[in-house]
Amino acid sequence: MKYAIINRMDMGRWFDSLKDRGKIYGPKKKESAYVFRPIQEFEEMSLKYIPTILPPKKYYFPQKEFLLKFKINPFSTGKAIREFEEFILFGVHTCDIAGIQCMDVVFNEKPADPNYLNRKEKMTIIGLECMDYCDKYASCAAVGTHVYKGGYDIMLTDLGDEYAIHINSEKGDKLVTGKKYIREMNAKDKEKLNKAFEEKLKKFNNEFDGDMERIDKAFEKGFFSPVWKDLGARCVGCTNCTAVCPTCYCFDVVDEVSLNLNDGDRYRVWNYCQMDDFAKVSTGEDFRAGRDARQRHRYYRKFKYSVQKYNKYFCTGCGRCTRTCMAKISLVETINQLLSGKEAK
Amino acid sequence: MSKPKPKVAFFEFTDCEGCQLQVANLGASLLELAKVVDIVNFREIMSEAGEEYDVLVVEGSVASKHDEERLKKIASKAKVIVAMGACATIGGVNNLKNLKPLAEQKKAVYGSVDPVPDAIETKSIDEVVHVDYYVHGCPIYGPEFLKVMECVLLGKPYNVPQYPVCVECKQNENVCAYEKGQFCLGPVTKAGCNSWLPNYGSVCVGCRGLIDNPAADAQKDILQKYGLTVEGILDKFTLYCNGKKERAKYGKESQK
Repeated sequence: MKYAIINRMDMGRWFDSLKDRGKIYGPKKKESAYVFRPIQEFEEMSLKYIPTILPPKKYYFPQKEFLLKFKINPFSTGKAIREFEEFILFGVHTCDIAGIQCMDVVFNEKPADPNYLNRKEKMTIIGLECMDYCDKYASCAAVGTHVYKGGYDIMLTDLGDEYAIHINSEKGDKLVTGKKYIREMNAKDKEKLNKAFEEKLKKFNNEFDGDMERIDKAFEKGFFSPVWKDLGARCVGCTNCTAVCPTCYCFDVVDEVSLNLNDGDRYRVWNYCQMDDFAKVSTGEDFRAGRDARQRHRYYRKFKYSVQKYNKYFCTGCGRCTRTCMAKISLVETINQLLSGKEAK
Repeated sequence: MSKPKPKVAFFEFTDCEGCQLQVANLGASLLELAKVVDIVNFREIMSEAGEEYDVLVVEGSVASKHDEERLKKIASKAKVIVAMGACATIGGVNNLKNLKPLAEQKKAVYGSVDPVPDAIETKSIDEVVHVDYYVHGCPIYGPEFLKVMECVLLGKPYNVPQYPVCVECKQNENVCAYEKGQFCLGPVTKAGCNSWLPNYGSVCVGCRGLIDNPAADAQKDILQKYGLTVEGILDKFTLYCNGKKERAKYGKESQK
């Protein structure tokens, strides 16, 4: 089975059938925002949601991840490679799935990161297609993440009374086969899905003032653009833009020794290029001393360096960095200013 | 075979002793700590007082000539000095005294009598003696105090985070106070408290002191954007970030 149909009324019982496959995490309302949280009952979730404060990244690349135990005297270290339990991410938007695909590339690069890969192996992704913009901050059409392009086990498309199911893996197949209330998609359903998709595409337009080819060129020429000075003057250095990014993967490694002063735990914790001392070295030099240089670095990491290294844009268009910025630094505006290149020469 | 346990003494100066209370409230962790150190002086939890110690934990700021001399005397016996709590590390709330000339403040508080003839301008501990370790906050955050004590005992430095509270707040996935129309000092305040106040729905009040390079201009822009007046903003900063060290940081309009 490749495509299937489930009635909206049956979503609750399908959700219940997933429970014995592992812990389920889904989007939930928190004050004026949304967050991924463990979900017990289907009704707890808000499937109509704008991107969560933190991306689901926290489940496969946690904020603070235990790595190993060590002893100082006599010196010994525990096993660094760990096993994890099955878990399901439910209702993940295509932009966040694109984020997972970026992380896959990074952590698969040699030497591969076993902790990430072991976690990833236990992860089941049930995606949820967006049929319209979540809000004005998203730029998913520009980077092409408004449509699904793999990286999930199941993709759900809301067709009103029912959901279309796209099965994209063996794991996904196991979650839907043998259920009486899930039927294979027929020609009529397929037509309905195609029509919904066409309608959807009409709503999405490139948010940038130029195609990716022009953006490549703008980044090539734009290293000394006054755009970065402007960002540097407005940025408060709170680091929120990097904290909420689904493709930021920098981390620091810290040792915490217990009070007996002999046993310790090693952790990896998120670390950001927007931190004041991120590029400071022991001799006192700071390779990116200004907030302008740090902001520029962030943009180049998303639109140029990652293209050179992995042939991939590391911006998923989720809009989180713009949404979270208290200085109202907008990714779309920055890119468009860079594209205009008015002052850049 | 085992080395003698280092002796630790807690002394308080001008303050509320709330930070010592935080230490007393550590519960099981305090008992763990007591296994590796000898606590020889700690007014809030013990009646006897020892005269000798290796590690001196100072709480409170220096507010009189007497304080100053006492601190120097106490410090001279210690191998390591830990400043504990905002009063000790940055002067804390006591800095409010320095906003006006001493004579004027005394008159406002005591009227025509002067019960503290030796009062001086408030000083943080490091304006009088050398400080090796800082535990910021009003009050201190218990888990950070334990982390600092581990570093003291292992003889390694403790690096106070140089990034703002936002880092921890965002990792805790709190809804930003600015989003709720509140004014929060998180973006310019040193982290290390695990965004203690925002986790409970309150805003950061800046008790840990400013980060080394607060983006002063950008911050002012934002506050004005959110409809706050310059006076209102300064009021918020005055509570904790009014000491000499803090003022110097905010004064430098660096691009860093």
